Amino acid sequence: MPYPPINPVFPEARQVLLALMALLALTPTPVQAQQPGGTNPEGHGSYTSLHSAKGRRQTADHSKFKILKGPFAEGDGPAVTRACLTCHTKAAEQVMATSHWTWNVAKDGQDGYGKSTHLVNNYCISIIGGNTESCARCHAGYGFKDSTFDFTRQENVDCLVCHDTTGDYEKEKAGFPNPGVSLAEVAQKVGAPTNRNCGVCHFFGGGGDATKHGDLDDTILKAPRAEDVHLSKQGAGMECVDCHTSDAHKVGGPNYVIPADRRELPKFAGEGVSRMSCAACHTDAPHGSYVLNRHYQKVACQTCHIPTFARGTLPTNTYWDWASAGRLKNGRGYKEEDAKGYETYNSIHGEMLWERNVKPTYIWYNGNLRFTRLTDTITIPADGRVVLNPAEGSYADPSAKIWPFKFHEGSQPYDTVLNRFVAPYTAGPKGSGAYWGDWNWDVAIKLGMETAGLPYSGQHGFVKTSMLWPITHMVAPKEQALSCTECHSRNGRLAGVPGFYLPGRDRGKGVDLFGLGVILLTLAGVGAHGFLRYTHVRH
Amino acid sequence: MRRVVLYEGFERFWHWAQALMILTMMLTGFEIRGMGFHLFGFRRAVMLHNVLAVALVTLIVFAIFWHVTTGEWRQYIPTRTFLREMIAFYLTGIFKGAPHPVKKHRMAKLNPLQRLAYLGFKVLIVPVQITTGALYYFYPNLQHALGWSPQILWFIAVVHVLGAFGLVAFLIGHVYLTTTGHTPFSNIKAMITGWEDLKDDEYFEET
Repeated sequence: MPYPPINPVFPEARQVLLALMALLALTPTPVQAQQPGGTNPEGHGSYTSLHSAKGRRQTADHSKFKILKGPFAEGDGPAVTRACLTCHTKAAEQVMATSHWTWNVAKDGQDGYGKSTHLVNNYCISIIGGNTESCARCHAGYGFKDSTFDFTRQENVDCLVCHDTTGDYEKEKAGFPNPGVSLAEVAQKVGAPTNRNCGVCHFFGGGGDATKHGDLDDTILKAPRAEDVHLSKQGAGMECVDCHTSDAHKVGGPNYVIPADRRELPKFAGEGVSRMSCAACHTDAPHGSYVLNRHYQKVACQTCHIPTFARGTLPTNTYWDWASAGRLKNGRGYKEEDAKGYETYNSIHGEMLWERNVKPTYIWYNGNLRFTRLTDTITIPADGRVVLNPAEGSYADPSAKIWPFKFHEGSQPYDTVLNRFVAPYTAGPKGSGAYWGDWNWDVAIKLGMETAGLPYSGQHGFVKTSMLWPITHMVAPKEQALSCTECHSRNGRLAGVPGFYLPGRDRGKGVDLFGLGVILLTLAGVGAHGFLRYTHVRH
Repeated sequence: MRRVVLYEGFERFWHWAQALMILTMMLTGFEIRGMGFHLFGFRRAVMLHNVLAVALVTLIVFAIFWHVTTGEWRQYIPTRTFLREMIAFYLTGIFKGAPHPVKKHRMAKLNPLQRLAYLGFKVLIVPVQITTGALYYFYPNLQHALGWSPQILWFIAVVHVLGAFGLVAFLIGHVYLTTTGHTPFSNIKAMITGWEDLKDDEYFEET
C-alpha cells in the first residue's frame, strides 16, 4: 500500500484510563464512543466561504468586449469561437487535446476506448453505426455528424457549452447551437463552468436524465443536502470543477481508468494529491475512531457514504433489453409505463427497468475496468452473460478496495459468427434503414457496421450483457452513512464479496454449534449435579 | 469458629472487576459475532469490547504484580494431594453430606481442583483470548506488514470464539460450584466481604 495509515496506533488509551477509573469506583459506566475534537455539525463552514468568493475570480467582464456583441448568425457557433480565439488564442488547441473533444482514449497502449471509436456499452450501444449526428449534441464541438468531421479545425470547438452562465444555451444535432439561442447574449456572459454546464451532458448520459450513471442527474442542481452533501446548495455548495480541477482545459476526470484509491489519479500543478479523491480534503483518517479509519485500507469511502444511488426524484435505468425491442402495434412502435410512470417498454429500446434509491452492488476493484470494444472478440460465459467491463481486484490485491457499483443489466446484438459486438444504426427516419425507422435488425446492423467501417458476418443474435458503473457522487450526509451491521451481519450488503473473513458475517462451519454444545453440556452437568444435591442432602 | 480475612481488598477488587469486564466482553463479543441479540449496538459493542480488552490486560498486569509480591501465586501451584478425594467428593460425597475433604487454610485457600481450574483459566484461556484478541485487532496492520492471508484472520477468529465459549462454560461451572460451600451463598459472601468463617480445627491447622 502506498499510503500506510498515519493515525496513532491506540487512540483509545484515554478511554481505557477512564474505564479503569470507573471500575476502581466499581461503577459500571458505559463507555461512550467519543468523537474527539468537537467538530462543527454543519462541517464545511470554511469551504462555503471559499465558495462565495467565486464570483470575484473573474478579471474580465465579457460584455465589454465589442467582438462578442456579434452580430452572430443563427446557430453559427463557429463564429463565436472565432471571436473567443482572438483573445484566447491557445484555448481551442488546448481543448482539442482533451477527451472532451476527441471522444477517444488510449488505454494500456491500445487505441479505441471512446465514443468516437470502438467502445461499446449496453445503453445506446455505440454512436459510430450512424448515430453520431444525434449523439454529438453532447460533443464539445460543432458539426460532428459522421467520421468525416474535421477534428483539427479550431473554430469547430464549442466554447459556450462549458462557459455559458445564462442557462439558455442549447445544442442540437451534430452539436450545433439551437438557432433560437441568442449567441451574442450568451457570449457576453461567459464564465467559469458551473454544475449546470457539466450537467447538460453528464446528467443525461444514456440518452436521458439520470439514465446512465445513477449518481448524476439534473436533480443535483436543486438537491437537498441529503441527496448530495457536496453539490447541494444547502450542503457544501460545491461545483463539479472544485474537485474536477483543470489545467489548460484538460479537466481532471478518470477516463476509463479509475484508481480505487483516487489519490493515484494524475494531479495538476500545485495539487498535492488529485482533488478527485475524498482524502484530498478529508484526509485518510477522517473518523474519530481508529477502527473506522482503518477501513480505508480495504473499503472505499463511497461504500459507506453513498448508501443508495439515484437518491433524487429521478429513477436511473437498471435494465435495458434490446432483444425485446421492435414489438409493434398496427405496424407502429409503442410505449408502456408502470404505475410510477416509468417506461417499462418502448419499441425502440425494448423492455426497461428504472429504479430510485438503488442499493449498489459491492465488488473488489483496483481501478481497472477491462472495457470491451467493437473490435474485441467476446466469449460468452456459462451463465450467458457477458460483462462488458469486468473490474479487476481482490482482497489480496493491495490496491483494491470494496467499491459500490451500479450494475446495468440488459441484452444487446452481437455478431454470432465473428463473436463481436455490433453497432446498429438506430436513430433514423423510416426508409433510412435505421432500426427506429424500419424495425429491421439485419439491415440496421449491416448499415451500422458499414458506417463504422467494421466487418459484419451478416448473422446476429442477442446476448445478455452487464456493465459496471462505479458510484462516487451523491455522497450522503454523515448521519446517513451505513451503520456497521449493514455489512457486519449474516446477510448484509457484503454477503457476496469473497476472499476474506468479515467479522459478523463469517463464522467458520460448526463453530457455534460446537460452542453451544459445550455450553449446553456444562449446563446439563451442573443442572444434574445440583438436582442430585438438592434431592439427596435434603433428607 | 473463627473469622478470618480470606480474600484481601485488592484480590476482591481484581476478582469482581475482572468478572464484570469478562461478562461485558462476552455480551459485546457475542453481539459482534451476530448471535442474534442487540444489546449495545454493533458499533458501541466493538468500542466497549476493545476498550475493555485493554482495561482487562492492564488489570491483569496489576494482578500479576500483586500475586508475585504477596506470594499468593503459590495458591495456584497444582497438587495431587487430595485431588482424588476432591473428585470423589464432587461425584458422590457431596450427595451424602460428607465433609469437604480439603480444609481451607489462609495459605491454602484453594482445593486441588480449584487450583487446576484457575491455573488453566490464568495460563491457558485468558492468554489465548488476549493473544488472539490482539492479533484480531491488529490484523489489518499485520496483514499489511507480513502479507498474511485472510485465512489467518479466520483462524484467529475461530480460536477467539472457541475461547469465548470455553469462558462461558467456565463461568457456568464456576458460579455453580460457589454454591457448594457451607451454605449456598457463603462462598460468594466471602468473595464480597473477604471474611470467611473457618472451623476452629481449620484455624488451628493453619497455625
